[in-house]
Amino acid sequence: MRAPLWLVRVGLVGLPSLVPLLTRSPQAQGVPADHGTIVIAVGTLATLPVPTVITGRWNQDVSDLLFLKLARLGPELATGGDKRFIPQLAKSWTRRDSLTLVFDLDPRARWHDGTPVTSRDVVFTFRRTLEPGVDPQRALLLRYLASVTEEGPQRVVFRFSRAYSEQLYDAVYHVQPLPAHLVDSIPYSRFATSSFAQHPIGNGPYRWVALVPGQRLEFTANPDFFLGAPKLDRVVFIEARDPEAQLNLVLSGTADALENVVPVTNIPRVADNPSLRMLQVPSFTVSYLLFNQRSRSDRSVPHPILADSVVRLAIALALDRATLVKNVFGVYGAVPYGPVPILSWIRDPKVNPLAQDTARARALLRSRGWVDANSDGILVRNGVPLSLDLNYPVTSAPRKQMALGIQEQLRQIGVKVELVGMEGAAWNEARNRHDFDIDFSSVGLDPSPAGLIQSWSCEGLSGTNVGGYCDPKVDSLLIQGIFARKDALPTWRRAVQQLEQDVPAVFIYAPIYAFAVHRRYANVNIRPEGWWAALGEWSVTPGQQLERDRTPP
Amino acid sequence: MLKGAWEQPGGRRGLLLLAVIVIVALVGPAFLPDPASQPDLIHGALLPPGLGHLFGTDQLSRDVLSRVVHGARISLSVALLAVALSATLGCLVGMVAGYFGGWTDAVLMRLVDGALAIPRLFILLLLIAVWDHIPLAALIVVLGATGWFGTSRLVRAEVLRLREQEYVGAAVALGAQRRRIILRHLLPNALAPVLVASTLAVGDVILIEAGLSFLGLGIRPPTPSWGAMILDARSTLFTAPWTGAFPGLAIVITVVAVNLVGESLRDALDPRRL
Amino acid sequence: MPGWLFSRLLQAAATLAAAIVVLFFLMRLAPGDPLAQLAGERQMSLQEVEVLRARYGLDQPLTSQFSAFVRGVLRGDLGTSISQRRPVTNILAERLPATLLLGGTVLVLNFTIGIWLGVLQARRKGSRADRWLSTLSLAGYATPSFWLGLILVWLAAVRWHWFPAGGMVDPLRSGESGLSRILDVARHLFLPVLTLSIVSMAVTMRHQRTAMLEVLGADFVRTARAKGLDEGPVIWHHAWRNALFPIITLFGLWLPVLVTGSVFVEGVFAWPGLGSLSQEAISGRDYPLLMGTALLVSLTVVLGNVIADLAYFYLDPRVRR
Repeated sequence: MRAPLWLVRVGLVGLPSLVPLLTRSPQAQGVPADHGTIVIAVGTLATLPVPTVITGRWNQDVSDLLFLKLARLGPELATGGDKRFIPQLAKSWTRRDSLTLVFDLDPRARWHDGTPVTSRDVVFTFRRTLEPGVDPQRALLLRYLASVTEEGPQRVVFRFSRAYSEQLYDAVYHVQPLPAHLVDSIPYSRFATSSFAQHPIGNGPYRWVALVPGQRLEFTANPDFFLGAPKLDRVVFIEARDPEAQLNLVLSGTADALENVVPVTNIPRVADNPSLRMLQVPSFTVSYLLFNQRSRSDRSVPHPILADSVVRLAIALALDRATLVKNVFGVYGAVPYGPVPILSWIRDPKVNPLAQDTARARALLRSRGWVDANSDGILVRNGVPLSLDLNYPVTSAPRKQMALGIQEQLRQIGVKVELVGMEGAAWNEARNRHDFDIDFSSVGLDPSPAGLIQSWSCEGLSGTNVGGYCDPKVDSLLIQGIFARKDALPTWRRAVQQLEQDVPAVFIYAPIYAFAVHRRYANVNIRPEGWWAALGEWSVTPGQQLERDRTPP
Repeated sequence: MLKGAWEQPGGRRGLLLLAVIVIVALVGPAFLPDPASQPDLIHGALLPPGLGHLFGTDQLSRDVLSRVVHGARISLSVALLAVALSATLGCLVGMVAGYFGGWTDAVLMRLVDGALAIPRLFILLLLIAVWDHIPLAALIVVLGATGWFGTSRLVRAEVLRLREQEYVGAAVALGAQRRRIILRHLLPNALAPVLVASTLAVGDVILIEAGLSFLGLGIRPPTPSWGAMILDARSTLFTAPWTGAFPGLAIVITVVAVNLVGESLRDALDPRRL
Repeated sequence: MPGWLFSRLLQAAATLAAAIVVLFFLMRLAPGDPLAQLAGERQMSLQEVEVLRARYGLDQPLTSQFSAFVRGVLRGDLGTSISQRRPVTNILAERLPATLLLGGTVLVLNFTIGIWLGVLQARRKGSRADRWLSTLSLAGYATPSFWLGLILVWLAAVRWHWFPAGGMVDPLRSGESGLSRILDVARHLFLPVLTLSIVSMAVTMRHQRTAMLEVLGADFVRTARAKGLDEGPVIWHHAWRNALFPIITLFGLWLPVLVTGSVFVEGVFAWPGLGSLSQEAISGRDYPLLMGTALLVSLTVVLGNVIADLAYFYLDPRVRR
């Protein structure tokens, strides 16, 4: 039986209009004109951005949105003294004496469940962090912290065992307080799998909504945030491990922002896109060619080739670092002086690393007895060829490309470099076992120069100083820098200068990250020490809202 | 066998094409600049094809044409030899298992199952533990020895099917020796899927070898290989397509040539011609 | 048949067990271990490393670690992932649906359209259709698979905005269910399926074509035609059944893709599958997670081949074993 005509007509008109109802959520009422949503494409999703169980940079970055520190670094990223920090959980601080700092918490600070943030939370978290086995790295950084005590519900007293200029930095930067009333009943061993860790309650500008591992992590704005409610109501992180996939997500409009466009050759594709804007964010990373000064097979014996500082200097002189950096990074990289990141406050913009000087490099090698005996282009001394293995992780595309440039430049002075690209875990293991000639290392440093101690002091030989470098002069300068009463800057700079002169490594590049962000966002601020920490300040330019901005969470 | 292939027009074209590729691989390097040379890292990188560089330059200002030609030696030897090894092993095992059946079949096929169950990556990681740097010959053997499992199952399936055909029964009834049955009746037919699989494997192996360099196992730079060039060119696919297009083209041409030869071999081996 | 089937399944179980044992010990031979990865990120002292080692049972002798693993598997507990600090079973369960969806769709397409095209080529051997399909399939296969994926994404997602560039669902539509969610997943599934299908269909088509050509020239086909049977049944009932053997083998070999996923497709399309998971597990030397994924893969490999053997037998009962 055929349907009556009027039914057919209604159906033809009515059905298509039902489709939007089936596929879209209802239109928003009254979302403010400068509010919006942001979708950020990241390489690895933060699955556990909870203090005391954080592993890895991606978790640390995201945890800043949920958990505030007592204070944050100011724009110059200075870590010394008491003055150049910006209040967060602590609204002010005073110094009682050279060993004691007193913080007054902001009484407006609240946990996401409404409970006020108190000194008990701070004390508890420090105690938890310093428990043995919990966080050895932070415990090491806080080794001069003698005690953290409550003095009333809003006041915390930090006592140190030694006087040094970075006391405030150590007190505020490394530890983000946890809510004691929710966490203190959970033993640390079960914390990572606890329901708190699956759905953290913090005090920051954003609240946790949901995590779908391998896919997305969603936060929603905390409207009661005491430092000002965020204007971006929804923050969604989406995971795409492959850099091309990340780029495609942002070029196609699925994602609004991308951290680190790689490689540099892809930047024009983003720049050409009219809805995207590029931002340069200098990093705290320094990469260098680390020389192994001890023999690979027996650490008590010096390395047959690299123990000689003249040879190391010759290698440094043979390299045209500026060209190598320009080739791999374009303008998104700089040649560091010593192991000092671009943003470090001890960086001296007036000194330059050694420029390439192949003539002098050749002369130096000749002076140490290295000659090309059989005209095959490779220098030899006492039957031993000047051949070195350069280990690098194949997962690092910049290092892979730069290693080829390095190999070719060193070939010009008669040094044979064998490129040993290794799988991540194997490379790590070879490095820790001191089984390398030259290791292409890359280290992300803290804003504080005190981190230099681990990799460049004699004390660090049993730990991360895998190259075997030890110069007591540098050690004493580093210690002096940490404990300097007055201006520590000249001391630090002298330490770095000595490091450059000793050539334990050739410091080769400090990258600048290229962020892609949709143009409609205003007040965009990406903090180098915590990229997304300032998302609470972003907003959407009125009149440029997209559909996704107008849909309420 | 080759004579049979030559007689087919497709086969002739394929063999000639292969011959050309091999000759270019052997003789070409003498006429081309050093593939490792990086003349100008700042202004000479990623130049499009032009007069000075017929195939353009890569990220390190190296001449792509020179690298493609120099890389032919490695890629061709790896591809052709490893695949030949896989094909031979697969055929052998598959035929023995299929024809003799019983316990032989069960044991061999369960070994193949077990081998298929272990990801290739595992085995390769082991090799890292054992060798610091694998020589090319060992690499070819490894690739060949880990690539025959699927082929053996394909061959076995064909043998199972053919074993029961009437003409085999007739041959047996006529008192033919087992070896003769295998060689004259079963092998030519069983070869068909092997040829298909091997043709496809040629392109595969080149990329697998390149993938090995991501484990630090493959050919060491600066020695070029087509697969490595393609993997390196991945990030410049849209900004500098020539870096990957030319080695990719080289692979495609090789695969086409092998395919033509394979097809003609299959036609030549058609039992209705023998 | 039942006797043979029982013996076959027993063999499969034995193979599986052997593979597990080999994998377990093989894993630990590769340089580096899970704690080195973890320790690398948070400079640990030797003491702390030892504490962690004990926590994960890595300080026990290998044989007791293995028996602990086996006992766990029999309980349904695959251990705790070292890098993710969660039960392995949870992690696998999260990623399995996405992997099955992708692999399953490709499997179905591959073994329907692929077969049909292969037979078509064989029937029209030498025709323009045959030559074009051959060229296309060869080109599709010889092109590096990630190129195919990247070009498809660039065209269909970035330039023309027909399909999403990656992921499994729209990141902003989390709470949906029912029809709109199915449509959303389907939109995200299209490009990865297309890419993987092009590559795998090329293989199936070529094998089917070759096998069909072999069979079409055989005597029994001529007999059937001489008997006056319609072309349709001649092709599909008589000839094709015999040309199915390599296809069945391929199917058995392909089944594991249902759980291994495809690393390159998951990468290019940000598809949250098991392929990229195993890759991470291997590079992180996350032994429990690795064993979990390996167990799944071994299971499907062995199962796939059992199914194939069953199918040969069903197709042609004269085939014993």
